[in-house]
Amino acid sequence: MKSRKIALWIVLMLVVFLPSLGFAQEKVIRIGALYPMTGRSGLYGMDSVAAAEMAIDEINAKGGAAGYKLDIIFTDSKSKPAYAVRVAERYITEDKVHFLFGVVSSAVGLAVTEISRQNKVIFIGTDHAATELTLDNFQPYYFRVSNNTFQSMTAGALYLKELQKEKPWKTISYIGPDYAYGHSQLDEIQYNLKRFGVDFQLVSKYLPKLYEPDYTSFITSLIKDKPDVLVSGFWGGDTVAFIKQAKAYGLFEKMLYFHPDAGGNYEVMSALGAEMPAGLVLSARHHNNWPDTELNRRYVAEFKRRTGRYPTYAAEGAYAGIYAIARAVEKVGTPDNTEALVKALEGLQIKLPEDPEGFTSYIDPQTHQIVQVQAIGVSVPDDKFPPAKMMLGKWKVYKAEDLLPPKELIEKRLKK
Amino acid sequence: MDFAFLATQMVSGFSLATLLFLNASGLTLIFGVGRIFNFAHGSFYMLGAYFGYQLSAVWGLPFWPAILVAGAAAGIVGSASEYLFLRRIYGRPHEGGFQILLTYCLILIFDDLVKMIWGSEYKSIAKPPGFLGAVQIGDVFIPTYNLAIIAVGLLVVLAAWWILSRTRAGRIARASAVDREILGCLGVNVPLTLTVVFGLATALGGMTGALAAPLRSVTPGAGIEIIIDSLIVVVLGGMGNFWGAWFGAILLGEVNAFAVAFVPEWSSLFSYIVMVLTLIFRPEGLFAPARIRKA
Repeated sequence: MKSRKIALWIVLMLVVFLPSLGFAQEKVIRIGALYPMTGRSGLYGMDSVAAAEMAIDEINAKGGAAGYKLDIIFTDSKSKPAYAVRVAERYITEDKVHFLFGVVSSAVGLAVTEISRQNKVIFIGTDHAATELTLDNFQPYYFRVSNNTFQSMTAGALYLKELQKEKPWKTISYIGPDYAYGHSQLDEIQYNLKRFGVDFQLVSKYLPKLYEPDYTSFITSLIKDKPDVLVSGFWGGDTVAFIKQAKAYGLFEKMLYFHPDAGGNYEVMSALGAEMPAGLVLSARHHNNWPDTELNRRYVAEFKRRTGRYPTYAAEGAYAGIYAIARAVEKVGTPDNTEALVKALEGLQIKLPEDPEGFTSYIDPQTHQIVQVQAIGVSVPDDKFPPAKMMLGKWKVYKAEDLLPPKELIEKRLKK
Repeated sequence: MDFAFLATQMVSGFSLATLLFLNASGLTLIFGVGRIFNFAHGSFYMLGAYFGYQLSAVWGLPFWPAILVAGAAAGIVGSASEYLFLRRIYGRPHEGGFQILLTYCLILIFDDLVKMIWGSEYKSIAKPPGFLGAVQIGDVFIPTYNLAIIAVGLLVVLAAWWILSRTRAGRIARASAVDREILGCLGVNVPLTLTVVFGLATALGGMTGALAAPLRSVTPGAGIEIIIDSLIVVVLGGMGNFWGAWFGAILLGEVNAFAVAFVPEWSSLFSYIVMVLTLIFRPEGLFAPARIRKA
């Protein structure tokens, strides 16, 4: 009887003290991530989570970063800024995270960057594209590891400029969602076309609300406007709905559909399958079939193996973010010295799946924006990534340095 | 502004209106008969779209039967939800608040169930063969599938008119809107009536979702996106007024179509302006007959 009691005590002691002993010994980099897990943008959140976990497993399997294991906590941001702010604060005060991480919606990104600034905790932005975050709302603890809309619209303007020589066009119309993301793409494509001296005329602009289910009236109105080029700033499922509805009206035979920020997203191609029209000019922040490098092939195949599906663009941002953290901690030697980590992230080079041969992505020290190559392609039949039946091909590649805002603009907007 | 464009834009408005009506009709039917405000009505629309996807894209059932089965399946889920959950809160003080909270919970639950079963990727249903192209009348250009949707909408209007005004079941349904207690005293099984009506209404929502799926993207959260416009239609037509919903949908569809054509940057504002004006000056709805206005 007595021995049983003692044994029980020993077991109890083990249960109580062993885990804490383990924690004391293990060196951990704590990352607090916020991603939408519900609703329409849930797809991007789930993909980001899967890719972040994949990067963490890869790094931890090789012994971690500077002897530290990476540990990440995920919370549903619900795509709501006020809610995300509360989670971010809890991450900082209770979980004592070294890094804030993630976010799909720019609105949530703008709210969380404020918390990061106040608490001097580094925030790695992996997906949201609003240019403001690395210009007007710049703060020293924010870093973005995916392209912003300025970069994609600059690549877009360069593409249109070249196109004018081959196939003269003059007029454009614009359609995009009625919030910051849609409005800034409209401003940025015009700004860049003017900057490159392209002669064009904007004949109409449409800003339906985000998640508008029915575009019929917009489509018939666009057909009446007869633009040569339709610049589109849709996002996610809205692109799918628009393409399905516009196809029956023959819109794609009447004008060039041009969608350089998110039109070439894999989930658009996989949802549309054989319904995806050929000849649309599109791009995305990551492509499953470009560049054809060892790293990109391995990344896509490994993601497929782990989740059973091919990744959307958002996944690569999360993958990049984890590697950026690991490289910075390796340079500094500890995740606890925030100021040194900021210095390490500024100018940091990371080789990413989306980097073509001979180029390595790097973080611009002035704006904390990652600098990357952008490739714009045309939809062509390709069933190597099912259920998609069309993928992008006939690539035109734009050099990373050419996509940055001009010096004067950076300085003007940073001062704001 | 030429005539052909105005005609095209009108047909655009009509096709938008038909889908709006098909979804709103279920919402208004439940409200009219049972005084239940089903905030989750959009979720049955979403379920219908996913059922349609499963039946036609995964199991290969022909399109039109798949639409009907998807609608029926959504209706069964609807009846079950009414029987298991909503029925328990009837007659409580402040029932309206409970209804909204309960049906809002249903939205969240259905969204997550859909995500667990089908994943969060966007799904799509191909248009049925024979409805891929468009017909051209003069300069006016209308996709055949949009025409088919308009036809289905008219069929539903006729069928509903016949059931509601010419059959005993329809009379019972209308009577339960007027006075549930007396109807019960007359020996009608009122709870069963409500369950059946709820099932029919959600079946309409489900069928609409499946019907719209070839034109829209099927995603979790799709229900929330259409509930607001459906609600505007119901308000315009008068809460619980089936015919009003049809006119309300056409009004909203056309307002939208012409706002897009003439004031594109402010287009999304117009539907709300129409709703606010209606709520202030004709809260009983623009198309309410005098009898309903009193109630």
